[in-house]
Amino acid sequence: MQQEEIQEFHWMMTLLQNVDVGLVVLDRDYKVKVWNGFMESHSGLLPSHVRDKSLFELFTEIDRDWFKRKAWPVFELRNRAFIIWEQTPYLIRFPNYRPITGSEEVMYQNITLSPIVSPTGNVDAICLMIYDVTDVAAGKKALESTQVALNETLEQRG
Amino acid sequence: MFSVVICDDSLVARKQVAKCLPDDWDVSVHFAKNGSEAIELIGEGKGQLLLLDLNMPVMDGYETLKVIQQQGFATRTIVISGDIQPEAHQRVESLGALAFIHKPVKPDTLLGLLKQHGLFDQQSESEEELERLDPAIRDCYQEISNIAMGQAGDHLARMLNVFVELPIPNVNLIEMSELHMMLTDIEEKETVSGICQGFVGPGVSGEALFIVSDSGVGELAAILGLSGDIDDRAQLEVLMDAANILIGSCLNGLANQLDLHFSQGHPMVLGQHYNIRDLINTNKVRWRRTLAIELSYGLEGFRAHCDLLLFITEESMNIMNAKLAHLLED
Repeated sequence: MQQEEIQEFHWMMTLLQNVDVGLVVLDRDYKVKVWNGFMESHSGLLPSHVRDKSLFELFTEIDRDWFKRKAWPVFELRNRAFIIWEQTPYLIRFPNYRPITGSEEVMYQNITLSPIVSPTGNVDAICLMIYDVTDVAAGKKALESTQVALNETLEQRG
Repeated sequence: MFSVVICDDSLVARKQVAKCLPDDWDVSVHFAKNGSEAIELIGEGKGQLLLLDLNMPVMDGYETLKVIQQQGFATRTIVISGDIQPEAHQRVESLGALAFIHKPVKPDTLLGLLKQHGLFDQQSESEEELERLDPAIRDCYQEISNIAMGQAGDHLARMLNVFVELPIPNVNLIEMSELHMMLTDIEEKETVSGICQGFVGPGVSGEALFIVSDSGVGELAAILGLSGDIDDRAQLEVLMDAANILIGSCLNGLANQLDLHFSQGHPMVLGQHYNIRDLINTNKVRWRRTLAIELSYGLEGFRAHCDLLLFITEESMNIMNAKLAHLLED
C-alpha cells in the first residue's frame, strides 16, 4: 500500500516536472517554494538556486506593487486571478520557445494565480502558473496589422 | 424566435412596414431589398412570415412567391403593394399568399390580418419561454445566485472600498436570438468593453460574460486610484481586475453550493469600445438555448454599472437539478 502511494507520488512529480506550463509556489513574502521543470528550463535557474528567494529579487522586470495588487484577492479573498498577455506581454522575460522560426523575441504569457488553501483554511501560499501564448499573440498581432493595412488601402481608393 | 422578413426595394417602405408591426410582438425582423435576398434569408431558416412587395428589381414579388412554392418553404406571406389592380390580388393569392394589403400599410390592418391567421396573439413569446422553466427550479437557481452574488459583491466592495449595490438576480432560459435583445437592453447607447471566460465542472459547463460601459471603466479606474492617462491598456487592467473578482467569486459561490469545483479557462477580451451587439456576433450558430443568470452591480455614489452574465448550457441543468434536489424537496 505504502509502496503504491510512493509510486503515485513519483508519477505526480514527474508530471509536474514535465508539463509544458510554468508552475511556481509563492509564500506570503513572495518567496519561491516550488519551481518546476518548465521554469528551470526557460529561466536557466535551478530550483536549489531560487528556493526561498524573493520573486522580485530574482526577476527585477516584475513591477512589485502591480504584482502585489494582482495577488491581493488571491491571498485575501481566495479568488483566482488571471492576467492575460494583452494586459502585459509577459511576467518574467523568457526568450521565445522557438528561437529560430519564432517571429517574436520574447515569450508572451498568460498568468493564473490560484490560492492554496491550507488545512486550517488559511491561504499561506499561492500557485503561479505561466502559459506560453506566443503563437496566439503573434497571430492576433498579424491579423490586426493586416486589418489596418486593408483599411488604409480601402481609404486610399476612396 | 419568430422571424419576420420585410422585403421591399425602398428603404422608406421597409421602415414604414417595420413600424407597423405590433409593438409588443417579440420577433426578430430582417430586411431584404429584393426577392432573391428574401429567399436567401428564408433558406437560412428566417422569415416564418414574409411581408412582400411586388415590384422590385432582380426578383419581383410574383417570382418570389413562385420560388417559395417550388422549394416548399413553410413561409407564410402577406403581400404589401401599391398595385391595386384586382388581378394582382388574385394572382398573388393563387401563388399562395395569405393576404394582400395596399400601400401605405396601417398598423390596425396588419394587426387584424396577423390575428386572423393566428400569427400573433397578445401574449408575447418571452412569457411562454419563462413558463418552460419550472418555477420551483427557477426559484432555486435564483436563491443560489443570490448567495453567490452576495459573496461576489462583498469581494468587489473590499477591493474597491465602496458600497456595492446588490441586484436581484434575473434567471431565465433564453434562446440565441434573445441574447441579442438582452444585451441591447443592458446598454442602449454607450459603447462597452467585455471579458468572457469559460468555466467547467463535472457535468456543468458555461461561460461568464462581464460587461462594463466605457464610462464605467473610467470611474472604476478612478476608484482604484489610477491617475494620469487612462489608455487602453490601463482600462484593460481595470476591466480584468473587476472581472476576476466578480466572475471568480460568483463561480466559487455557485460551486460551493453545488458541491463541485469549476475550472476556469483563460479570459478573452471581447474587444474594447465595441457596440454591444457586435460583441456577440461571432459564434451565432453554435448558440442554443441556455440558462442565463443576469447580475447587475451598481456602486453607491457612482454611475458605473458592471453586468455579469452567467450562461450555463441546457445539458448542465440535469446535474445541477440533482445537486440541488435537497433545496427542491420541501
